[in-house]
Amino acid sequence: MSVTAKTTINIAREEISDSSRGYWREVFQRLRRDPVAMACGTLILLLLAAVIFAPWIGLQDPVTGSMIQRLKPVGTPGHVLGTDELGRDMLSRLVYGGRLTLMLGLLPVLFALVIGTALGVFAGYAGGIFNTVIMRVVDVFFAFPSILLAIAISGALGAGIVNSLVSLTIVFIPPITRVAESVTASVRSLEYVDAARISGAGPLTVVRVHVLGNVLSPIFVYATSLTSVSMILAAGLSFLGLGVRPPEPEWGLMLNTLRTAIYIDPLIAALPGVMIFLTSLCLNLLSDGLRSAMNVKD
Amino acid sequence: MLTYFIQRLVYVVPVALGVSVFCFLLVHIAPGDPLTAVMPIDATAEQQAAMRAAYGFDKPLPVQFLVWLGNALAGDLGNSIATGRPVAGEVMRAVGNTLILAFAASLIGFSLGILFGFIAGYFKDTPIDRAVTALSITGVSVPNYWLGIVLVVIFSVMLGWLPSTGAGPGGSSAWRWDVEHLRFIVLPAVTLSVVPMGIVARTVRALVGDVLSQDFVTALAAKGMGRAGILRHVMRNVAPTTLSVVGLQLGYLLGGSILIETVFNWPGTGFLLSNAIFQRDLPLLQGTILVLALFFVFVNLLVDLVQPLVDPRIKRT
Amino acid sequence: MIWKFLRGAALAALPAAAIAAAPVDAFAAGTLRIGMTASDIPLTTGQTDQGGEGMRFMGYTLYDALVNWDLGSAEKPSVLTPGLAVEWGVDEADKTKWTFKLREGVTFHDGSAFNAEAVVWNLDKLLKEDSEQYDPRQAAQGKSRIPAVSSYKAVDDLTLEIVTREPDATLPYQLAWIMMSSPANWETQGKDWEKVASSPSGTGPWKLDSFVPRERAELVPNPDYWDGTRVPKLDRLVLLPLPEPNARSAALMSGQVDWIEAPAPDLVPALEGNGFQIVSNTLPHNWTWHLSRLEGSPWNDLNVRKAANLAIDRESMKQLLGGLMVPAKGFLPPSSQWFGKPEFDVRYDPEEAKRLLTEAGHGPDNRLKVKALISPSGSGQMLPLPMNEFIQQNLAEVGIDVEFEVVEWNTMINIWRAGAESENALGTQSINFSYFIQDPFTGLIRHLSCDLIAPNGTNWGHYCDPEMDALFKEIRNTFDPEAQDEVMRRTHEKYVNEALFLMVTHDVAPRALSPKVKGFVQAQNWFQDFAPITIEE
Repeated sequence: MSVTAKTTINIAREEISDSSRGYWREVFQRLRRDPVAMACGTLILLLLAAVIFAPWIGLQDPVTGSMIQRLKPVGTPGHVLGTDELGRDMLSRLVYGGRLTLMLGLLPVLFALVIGTALGVFAGYAGGIFNTVIMRVVDVFFAFPSILLAIAISGALGAGIVNSLVSLTIVFIPPITRVAESVTASVRSLEYVDAARISGAGPLTVVRVHVLGNVLSPIFVYATSLTSVSMILAAGLSFLGLGVRPPEPEWGLMLNTLRTAIYIDPLIAALPGVMIFLTSLCLNLLSDGLRSAMNVKD
Repeated sequence: MLTYFIQRLVYVVPVALGVSVFCFLLVHIAPGDPLTAVMPIDATAEQQAAMRAAYGFDKPLPVQFLVWLGNALAGDLGNSIATGRPVAGEVMRAVGNTLILAFAASLIGFSLGILFGFIAGYFKDTPIDRAVTALSITGVSVPNYWLGIVLVVIFSVMLGWLPSTGAGPGGSSAWRWDVEHLRFIVLPAVTLSVVPMGIVARTVRALVGDVLSQDFVTALAAKGMGRAGILRHVMRNVAPTTLSVVGLQLGYLLGGSILIETVFNWPGTGFLLSNAIFQRDLPLLQGTILVLALFFVFVNLLVDLVQPLVDPRIKRT
Repeated sequence: MIWKFLRGAALAALPAAAIAAAPVDAFAAGTLRIGMTASDIPLTTGQTDQGGEGMRFMGYTLYDALVNWDLGSAEKPSVLTPGLAVEWGVDEADKTKWTFKLREGVTFHDGSAFNAEAVVWNLDKLLKEDSEQYDPRQAAQGKSRIPAVSSYKAVDDLTLEIVTREPDATLPYQLAWIMMSSPANWETQGKDWEKVASSPSGTGPWKLDSFVPRERAELVPNPDYWDGTRVPKLDRLVLLPLPEPNARSAALMSGQVDWIEAPAPDLVPALEGNGFQIVSNTLPHNWTWHLSRLEGSPWNDLNVRKAANLAIDRESMKQLLGGLMVPAKGFLPPSSQWFGKPEFDVRYDPEEAKRLLTEAGHGPDNRLKVKALISPSGSGQMLPLPMNEFIQQNLAEVGIDVEFEVVEWNTMINIWRAGAESENALGTQSINFSYFIQDPFTGLIRHLSCDLIAPNGTNWGHYCDPEMDALFKEIRNTFDPEAQDEVMRRTHEKYVNEALFLMVTHDVAPRALSPKVKGFVQAQNWFQDFAPITIEE
């Protein structure tokens, strides 16, 4: 759950190599021989498909329910996974909840990936005062344990999906910036990059061809593991009342509102927790698989 | 070595300053007038004017920051909106309780994490390794506040073995390190230790595996060094990185306990933070986060200072 | 159901567990530990915060009012009884002038004497902003309780005179809120309310022994209490803030507390099955959405208000609450002596609701959007989150979309005081509040009187109707109880006919007690008497 600076640095020490189409094919080949990673990848894809196509797969309304139908056990006809404390279909709420939960897992990492990579590459490439300013600011954000940072920003901004997105994005920018900066700085000092520069290649070309190619793969691996962190953080924010607001289904919030049901139907109360756990587990295992397939050192 | 220490110490100053700036700005990124963010809603006009002057809200931001920083350095973090009590006192009382919990959790998490990591790394690629890896990855994947709720249901409600809430039979002010009090800390500490245990185990496993696969170990074995001797070597090589991961995790334990403390009503900083959030008590939020973050900076500094002392490879000049 | 699950899982033979778990904490016999719903220890200095619960546990325990509530009976509605004043009356010629005869020989916990000067000092504490002892925090709680009070003076040591702004027959009810703290103690504590908070001094049957903010407070009996019959039998009363219903029930079941306020309804069958006592009683309480009547509020339309009231399926909500509620038929509980015979029948009729909404110009393509302020827990709030979510569903079905602003209970009380127009109300058009409706003032007048528009009073929604004000005036001027009841009935009929609130439900104040707790009589009141309780191991 915490973003450790150490991992960042270790990834950054990965051997500098020029990427090519062949490299990615090789990575995929290696990944295919990893049954755990493949199973997890498939599961994540299935889940993604389910949440994307949620409105078209014949689910019940996740927001309205009937009090008479409340807390029906798993296996009730018409409610395969039972109903929640307000009689809403659990299957539907879990799928729709997955939408928000996964969105809160993926989007902040994606935003941070773009912003962090840009900042890091710029800092690493430009060097000098730019580097110092950017990296010292990053250091300040590193002084906060990630969850504390998320809570601080969300707490000040107030509850809501957008505010959660903002705070989580801010949480993930510093570590990604660090990785990008350190890889860029080492690529920049390589002889052939120097040569390219001297032979008249503009900074954009150098960055695009030589820097991004090297920066992206370690960052991609790192980002996969951040997705699981982001998801758990987002669920935690909702649990505290800082994230998604009712009646929107979100796994963290569902976990919170189903707390009392734990004494009536423990299985129902556990379902959102199980979903968070499984998804996060798969993301972590997938990240591990990618890491070894891409030869990124842990 | 001395230069390194001094460098490191000097480097802390801008970071600490940056942390203060960030905390200061929290009140200003909040929607609405910062004055209403730090005042009780029913404050009279005179109180508002007094507060405006005290906080310097009519002055430019940098001046406000200096006023705020000056107050903070003098131990005045403002008053809680909800209770009217000084924030500094509330936070200090809570920090002590969080430290107690973090200490217990780190004792459990770090010792088990290092132990598991060592075993897994030593028996790399065996079923033992896979079992330990599975356990540690579970640790980082489970939402720990939820685990806490489940543990309460099992161990407090069903079995009646352990208390479910609070910090001791007489409250935190009467805390003692005896069995009667430790029973209260078991569930929150175990819950809190799960994530750091997983992360530490993973790191140690990778490190041990790495060291064992290096040439010098083979050489030592060839020279006839016994298993115990080799293990000692491994430990010495693994220690520095482990230490820095442990340091970072300690920070996690301080900040990450917010959800756990909420579930268990543990009267620490996390409990304070969740109260501050519900009550939109920004001075309390700000003060608590400032103290926690500075503490984290301090722990990191400590780790950085200790690390070269235990690292046989690094000889900094 | 969980018990079945448990046995299936072969975890434990549960029925015995809860009882067996009781001696978890080794405590002296006669200690009663209560899990409150508040998130902090109520203010200890006199006038408490944390709503009715604050008064219950930290007000009427440590302190007395001039006029107390008689909490001795479970059968009949509670009535006023002499407290620190032994008798009172209004001047026949000048109906604004009241005289209170004070009780003789009463001392505060610190040993100082209670007299008319002390009462004046306490009223200054709340009302006189330039007095030395003025405490903004207590004033915030107490000022709005006594809007009638204009001036006051000590006639002699044991005689107090209070002058009201205009004739007001509800003055004694208002004064029942005002707690008397010791002036001498405030002096001893360096005139610092913050210090008084940790060693307060009142005249009540309990004394504060120790107090850790946000964690616990411990009360011990006051053996010298002026009413010998109400000297507590217990050795100690421990108060713990446990705002989360699940944590509260877990604490009871694991034997960490002996008594919890408002057990989660879902847990009631399980608690009963394990030998815990569930006590409840009619409560003069109202769980409602207080509507904003500011310009632009959709609730200004009578049809919209009626439609919302007809959209709520209160019988299903009762199921949600495990039967622990009385569905609203009006603003006051149906059994109230002031209910009257309103024409508008508050019932569940979604079709009629839709029709009324269409009449108001709303329809499927023009759904009405409202913003509502709610809190996740709080004194008398029952189960605010699921209940509000349920209402949200109900309203959505007839065409009203609700967006929630969720704030903590004490914050919500502050917003309630500040009024709908305040920036802190976050632009919401209703506030989900639970009202103590025991007397004419707290029951009806304070919510809708023109001169009490927030922040001057607690008319949160800025409602003002001359007709209503005329009725309020009549109540205040009717000193004959029976005639006053009749005016109250007419007033309530207007409340209901014009659907001035979203009338949802009345609480029955459930609490769950360990079988060890004996001798508790639950009065039909928000306040309770802890004196006769004993703990039997």
